[in-house]
Amino acid sequence: MEIRIQGLRRMFPAHGKVIRALDGVDLDIPARSIFTLLGPSGCGKTTLLRCIVGLEVPDAGEIAIGGETVFSSARGIFVPPEKRGLGMVFQTYAIWPHMNVFQNVAYPLETRKLPRMEIRERVRRVLEFVQLAGLESRPATRLSGGQQQRVALARALVAEPRVILFDEPLSNLDAKLREETRKELRAFLSRLHITAVYVTHDRTEALSLSDRIAVMNDGRILEVGSPRQIYFRSGRRFVADFVGRANLLEGRLRALAGDLAVVDSEVGVLRCAAREGLATGSPVTVCIRPENIRVPPPPEEADANRLRGTVESLLFVGESCEGEIRVGGRRLLVELPAEGELAEGGEVELGFAPRHALLLTP
Amino acid sequence: MNAIALLLCGLAAATAAFAADPSLVEKARAEKKAAFYANITAVEPILEAFAAATGVKAEYTRLSTSKFVSTVLTEHQARKLAADVLQAPLPILELLKEKGVLAAHRPAALKAYPAWAQRDDCIFTFGIEYVAPIYNKDLVKPADVPRRYEDLADPKWKDKIVMADPSSHATTISWLVGLKEKAFPDEEAWRRFLKGLAANRPMFVASFGPTPAPIESGEKWIAISMPKYIVTKAPAPLDWARVEQPLFGTPRAMAIAAAAPRPNAARLFAEYWLSREAMTILAEKVGEYVLHPGIFPPIAGIQTARVEAIRELPDEEIRRWGAEFKKLFNTP
Amino acid sequence: MRGPVRSPAHADGSRALTGGLVVLVGFLTVCPVLLLLLGSLSEGLGAFGRLTLSKYREAYGDPGFGVILYNTFVFTVGSAAVCTALALFLAYLNTRTNIPGKFLFRFLSLVPMMVPHILFCVSWVLLLNPSNGLLNLLLREVLGLASSPVNIYTLPGMILVEALLDLPIAYLVLAPALSAFDATLEESSRVCGASTRRTLLRVTLPVLRPAILSAFILVIVRSLASFAVPSVIGIPGRIYVLASHIYRLIATGFSPDYGQAAAVGTSALAASIVLVVLYRRLTASAERFVTVSSRGFRPAILELQGAKLPLSLAVGLLSFVLIALPVLVLGYVSLLPYSMVPGAKAFALMSLKNWRQVLADPISILALRNSLLLGVGGAAMGMILSFFVSWVIVRVRSTASGLLESLSFLSFSFPGIVIGVGFLWFFVFTPLYGTLWALLFGYIAAYLPYGIRPLTSALVQIHGHLEESSRVCGAGRLTTLRRIVLPLLVPGVVSGWILMATMFVRELSLSVVLSRPGTEVLAVQILRFSEDGLWGRLAALGIVMILISTSLVVIAGLVGRQRMRAYGLEGA
Repeated sequence: MEIRIQGLRRMFPAHGKVIRALDGVDLDIPARSIFTLLGPSGCGKTTLLRCIVGLEVPDAGEIAIGGETVFSSARGIFVPPEKRGLGMVFQTYAIWPHMNVFQNVAYPLETRKLPRMEIRERVRRVLEFVQLAGLESRPATRLSGGQQQRVALARALVAEPRVILFDEPLSNLDAKLREETRKELRAFLSRLHITAVYVTHDRTEALSLSDRIAVMNDGRILEVGSPRQIYFRSGRRFVADFVGRANLLEGRLRALAGDLAVVDSEVGVLRCAAREGLATGSPVTVCIRPENIRVPPPPEEADANRLRGTVESLLFVGESCEGEIRVGGRRLLVELPAEGELAEGGEVELGFAPRHALLLTP
Repeated sequence: MNAIALLLCGLAAATAAFAADPSLVEKARAEKKAAFYANITAVEPILEAFAAATGVKAEYTRLSTSKFVSTVLTEHQARKLAADVLQAPLPILELLKEKGVLAAHRPAALKAYPAWAQRDDCIFTFGIEYVAPIYNKDLVKPADVPRRYEDLADPKWKDKIVMADPSSHATTISWLVGLKEKAFPDEEAWRRFLKGLAANRPMFVASFGPTPAPIESGEKWIAISMPKYIVTKAPAPLDWARVEQPLFGTPRAMAIAAAAPRPNAARLFAEYWLSREAMTILAEKVGEYVLHPGIFPPIAGIQTARVEAIRELPDEEIRRWGAEFKKLFNTP
Repeated sequence: MRGPVRSPAHADGSRALTGGLVVLVGFLTVCPVLLLLLGSLSEGLGAFGRLTLSKYREAYGDPGFGVILYNTFVFTVGSAAVCTALALFLAYLNTRTNIPGKFLFRFLSLVPMMVPHILFCVSWVLLLNPSNGLLNLLLREVLGLASSPVNIYTLPGMILVEALLDLPIAYLVLAPALSAFDATLEESSRVCGASTRRTLLRVTLPVLRPAILSAFILVIVRSLASFAVPSVIGIPGRIYVLASHIYRLIATGFSPDYGQAAAVGTSALAASIVLVVLYRRLTASAERFVTVSSRGFRPAILELQGAKLPLSLAVGLLSFVLIALPVLVLGYVSLLPYSMVPGAKAFALMSLKNWRQVLADPISILALRNSLLLGVGGAAMGMILSFFVSWVIVRVRSTASGLLESLSFLSFSFPGIVIGVGFLWFFVFTPLYGTLWALLFGYIAAYLPYGIRPLTSALVQIHGHLEESSRVCGAGRLTTLRRIVLPLLVPGVVSGWILMATMFVRELSLSVVLSRPGTEVLAVQILRFSEDGLWGRLAALGIVMILISTSLVVIAGLVGRQRMRAYGLEGA
């Protein structure tokens, strides 16, 4: 494990109350992978990142990076950020406006007191890597947003840190640039084979960039897994809801049969994918992603759940069509082909496979 | 040019004339300097003459009246009083004497002075901080110049008088009370005078220092101020009103510090200060009224004026009268 | 605040720095104030004795005290409002518009700081007194009036002069903030369809709130302690404010009751503390006002178009009133044997006598040297301390840093005549008494806010990420301060240094009690001339003082600009 975090706590006093920004976080971050902390704002993900990098001092717990303990409340250890040998890209990029591109990127090497020649060579290489070669003497104030982002990346990489941390690095870019930069970043990072910890509240970013994702809320880690596990196999209601669009139906577990579970839900009896650790009679939430609902269900799926409903609204978004279908007292979100023949107000049949109906606990 | 030459001759003569006990001069020279704390101003020429006459340097620390007691007492209590000789209005030195700051000393040079110049075993006086109505002679016609203090209450001076704030300026308060005791037949007449003066709405300033400026510039016509400004501010068109009554003022006093770091230099300095030479400089250059017989400031008419010391009021009385004048002059 | 873990927080270092600064600043500022409070509770005679509350009963039992409080309120708030508005107007025109003659602004805002305050007030009295004030005479002539239209000896008169005197403080706090302002904030408002004026009112001013409040509060605190205007203009008009009331308490009698004066001074102190706390409350969320990040370091320049001419005229008039008039009056007075209304007689009497006397006076020359030394060296040391203090105030934001901010205001907010005595009582117990060092430390302690205010208002606008990223890049705290924070603070450092240096060159309240033979300084020498009514010499020395301050300001400005250019930054 590259980073091992145990029992981390961090509290802030605010308006007379205590906010638990980190409420007992245990986390292992594997080496040479892109690890994302995903969660809504205020969930503690940035605090966790700042604790790892050393800008924030936790109240309790332990952090080890590459086997070396950098923080331990029990043993009274705190290694300041400048001694942790990490790289970080800030949300604002934090490019120093009084330095040019070269000076910005050379700074981490200068603080490590490397010889001049070596600094020049390494800065040249890293600027080439981030495709900024030739901009060495450009003042930092004359850079576009994308260029700044790349200078920040170059600066974080130039000292070849064992871990590089990203604090929502794309949130300051406009939508189109963000998508491009995301791909570029993914490419850079996979070429580097470096450990990267990435903080974001954007699920698309998290899902597309990461090797592993930890979803956080209220200062706790709720679930850790690969993007697919998180998206498709999550057992937590909060996680399933946060990582993608979801139809959540309340119900009670009636029976378990092999890998099938039968649930009495708001819209009738549903066959769902079974899960361990659930007792019959216990309350559950059924999660069905809109893209897994078929209208009408293909006849070959014999075991699919089949429901009837009324089309309430249709929204054309280009590559597809988002529909809302009323089933009983509920409205279900459904992703439809862009060139469908449905009309608002029409009666339809819809269906989904039991393996696409996940059981969640709160 | 002539006057300066004359003055220089006088100075030379003075230097030659000052004679003190040679053993005292020798001991004082060994002490190198005398530290002089004073509220009197513009006395640098005397200090230079002292150094020239004795070979002892005089170091002048100027303390304004309002800071004198607190500074000296603070230093005294911290055992850091650097002064050898102290000069201040009489009431201040009396206060310091009570606190044990002063040494008993009777300078030999005081023999030439009236007997009352030596106030007690520690304090001796050498001059009077005399107060008089000062007017702008370009603006005030000779016929209009006040002949008695009562004339300041004449309505023709409305909005034309400047004086130090009578609710707070200690010397002005003492002077007003002195008028009651020495210049007016009874308290009723004095109160009438005060009412009339107040009705003339004099402009107040913080102390005597700023009183002559409005007269010079013609902003006001007449000031309750000090005749010495006629000397120091020459050639400003200032003159003093020759009132029939005497002029009054607080005695200027001097003493030696009990813990003087340089006691011999201190004594030598006191002797020199009281000498005819030093007093001549004080009168001629600074316009001070000195007690040394036969020496007068170069102000026309002052030789025949009666200048009297007023009773020193204790602080408590000054504050009481201050409060009273505050009401009388309708000051907020 | 950080919970049960001890050692890591210590390792963090900022606590040690905060603690050290609290002790240092506390020692320098609390000791004199504590001694004053002790004095106010003592029976003693200008010194300490048995404890009693009688001083407070006497001071606050005075029936006239309500009027004095009212006058003080109107005077301070009025001066602060006029002064801040004027400074904002000038700073905005200078940093954000294409108004011509920008070089004037620097001087415009600084001249009142270099003129000895007593003299500045006297100039205004010569101009606007109701009997024969020059401007009044002129207005009477032109308008055919029977009586003078303007009377300087009134509350509005006091407010006007005080506001002009304090203009530099407000300007130097506001100008760096304005030049560091992220123009995109304004641009985005304009894009949203708001007019220039609306943008100014709805975006620019609110974003500048910390700097504006900072300036406003600084001026209130300053005018609370100011003595020149209350004594030269207030007393003749019989308008007493706290400072002149305190003077009255001290002056009445031969053994001044500093205890009672200190007791009255406590209410000024309390008012200042309340203001500082209020200010901290109002700007609590510093992040909301962060405007300098990597992106916006280019203040946009507004085209004035049609408003150019009237605004230029307004600035020209202000410059005339603020720079030319007082300096002209000074020059005029310095050539005359005594004060008189300009005319044929005055011109006939003009000579260089005052100049010769001043320049031949060894004490004046010594005072000049000492003041220069204290100005340059004292301001440099003061800025070093201010730099660390400001950083802690802005970045650490703990209870201790709040304490530090309040401490830094402590002796600043005590009326000058009283705080001098506090410092006397303090330094007499140290070996520094009677040396230049006592003056140096006294100055720094008493005027720390002059260094801290411009720095904090500039620092608040530098995003914390710029420092944090330096730490992550392997630089320690000190390296970060030196290589990242300091360069970005150059405009604030220059402002603070100028404020401190020119203040130290003309400092009076402390100097008058602490200066001894050998440690004479300019202001004390000037006070002596004024006590003796030697206005001519006073004016001559005052002009020398202005020249010194001007050269300090010019040098500081040039060094600052050279640094900025070296960093590739433009502006300020």
